[in-house]
Amino acid sequence: MAHDSDDTPDNLVTVRDLHYAIDTRVIYKGVDIDIARGRITAIMGPSGTGKTTLLRLISGQWRAMSGSVDFDGQRIAKLSQRQLFTLRKRMGMLFQSGALLTDLSVYNNVAFPLREHTRLPERLIRDIVLMKLEAVGLRGARDLFPAQLSGGMARRVALARAIALDPEMIMYDEPFAGQDPISMGVLLRLIRRLNDVLGLTSIVVSHDVKETLGIADYVYVISDGEVIDHGTPDEIRNSSSDWVQQFIQASADGPVPFHYAGTSYAKDLLGAEPR
Amino acid sequence: MSMLRAGAFDVSERATTSELIAFETESGTPVVQLSGDWGRAIRPPSAAHVADTLDVGGQSRVVVDGAALDNAHPRVAAFVHALGDALTQDNVSLDTRDLPDDISALIALASPTPAAPERPRRPGLLARVGRRAGAQASVARNTANLVGQAMALTPALVSGRAQTRWRDFVELVRETGAASLPVVTVVNILIGAVLGFIGAVQLQTFGAGMYLADLVGIASAREMAAIMTAFIMAGRIGATFAAHLATMESNEEIDALRMIGVSPFEFLALPRLAALSLMMPLLFLYGATLAIAGGMIVAHIVLGTPPVAFVERLQDAMSLSEFVIGFVKSIAFGVLIALTSCYIGLNAGRNAAEVGRAATRTVVVCIIGIISIDAVAALCTNALGI
Repeated sequence: MAHDSDDTPDNLVTVRDLHYAIDTRVIYKGVDIDIARGRITAIMGPSGTGKTTLLRLISGQWRAMSGSVDFDGQRIAKLSQRQLFTLRKRMGMLFQSGALLTDLSVYNNVAFPLREHTRLPERLIRDIVLMKLEAVGLRGARDLFPAQLSGGMARRVALARAIALDPEMIMYDEPFAGQDPISMGVLLRLIRRLNDVLGLTSIVVSHDVKETLGIADYVYVISDGEVIDHGTPDEIRNSSSDWVQQFIQASADGPVPFHYAGTSYAKDLLGAEPR
Repeated sequence: MSMLRAGAFDVSERATTSELIAFETESGTPVVQLSGDWGRAIRPPSAAHVADTLDVGGQSRVVVDGAALDNAHPRVAAFVHALGDALTQDNVSLDTRDLPDDISALIALASPTPAAPERPRRPGLLARVGRRAGAQASVARNTANLVGQAMALTPALVSGRAQTRWRDFVELVRETGAASLPVVTVVNILIGAVLGFIGAVQLQTFGAGMYLADLVGIASAREMAAIMTAFIMAGRIGATFAAHLATMESNEEIDALRMIGVSPFEFLALPRLAALSLMMPLLFLYGATLAIAGGMIVAHIVLGTPPVAFVERLQDAMSLSEFVIGFVKSIAFGVLIALTSCYIGLNAGRNAAEVGRAATRTVVVCIIGIISIDAVAALCTNALGI
């Protein structure tokens, strides 16, 4: 896959020739991805293509079998556990389910990373937490517990927690899945605003085509362990690949057949050659 | 098939083959004209026969025209589909023209599904045994890793440098200690009483009723109180820990901790390990005392031994080492339960069923572990003559 070499200095994350497999299931067979600094990069693809795996590889939770993942010039695979934990303070991640700690209130969930990683006085932590909660519009919900929040609210609290330590990069794992239209609109605006106002670099992993193409600056489409196409949202919309067209237009049939592989229907029903 | 072919062009009483099918050529391309009502034919034309007899004339395409059909009889669909299949084998493609919509839909439904990929062959017995053994090796490695981490981090925990919250620890101590008291009380008093009953009946036949204090005291302090308390804690606390951690794992909370840069081991497993290994020996002392009290009550009721005499006999019969053995074993049981439940909980799968499975597995593994440790301890103390 061709990449402009003069882009390289601007990339926060570079993935080169990435191979990864879970047991015998091949997830990636040689993928190159660049995450440009200060932009929103979307990774799109059908369920089960290992989009979340990519985030785990970038954050060093899992290690690539071959190929490299670099974050700001540091090779993830070569870092020790401690170095990795230090590096992760520079990245935030929004999990699909929010992943708030259930026995802590909203306030304490957002304060958690601050208390773990800083020695700030409690008054200052309080100010920071309230600022982060204000940014996601949930300052009033500080005393609620995760069980009392709607799915969209939980995700916003998780977002506040993810930006608590002012990371350089934030990764969104399926941020739009299962959201009602209003929460979706709120999240879309938040992701864009946080990226631009805080000067973040964002990676959005999603299969929600309309929302993702609407928000991203650059898009990678992944299927079957390979990058099928990449470009700006407009380039993706006009992609010459049949597969990409089927994906973004949500057609039932195309290069990805509607039918799961099997014997012919007529043969199966008649139990023999229909002659 | 041969039977069909032999009679394929027989004239039927109701619709003759020639009324149903005709062959033409349009600028070189063979055209099969279907017509009439196929439902009226006793024996409709056979696709196999048509495919065999049709003179394709070197063309790669055959057209089926359905304009003259009276109705959309399913036989037509079967015929066209089978003809298509037969012609494909000779690398000839079949095009349809003016077929009734219902027929086209039916043919589309029968159109070939992508061929199934070959299912990987089941590996042989040897390979499966090897794979299982390999998986066990990784369990052993992970366990060693866990124990190593626990040992390496103990100094950090004691000095307060670990990423463990003091508040969590206090809550865990309450949950494992104070909250377990009622069940530990009931079980140990009853175990002591049961030992007392069995012992009283047997010792009485030899007129050795006064030695009941020896029996109950030593059995409780060395074995029963420690084991029963450990079983209770495995069921009550081990299962709770495993289920809690497995739920956190399925909620991605463990992943979130890692992303925040907090070690799940230090944050979750270490305080549990500390709480259990602290509370288990204390619960043992409490349980052993109650078990002896249970025996004392039975001795008083069944044998009429006054409690003062029972305690006096106890002082002669027992040495501190009985309690020390039980005490040390309790610490080992506490460590075992904590590490097992945390290991299984943190390595559980990501769905609801796994939560229950993690709890069950923890209890089973703990019970086997407790008995094994106890057996080894019995061998060792026996060899050492303690």
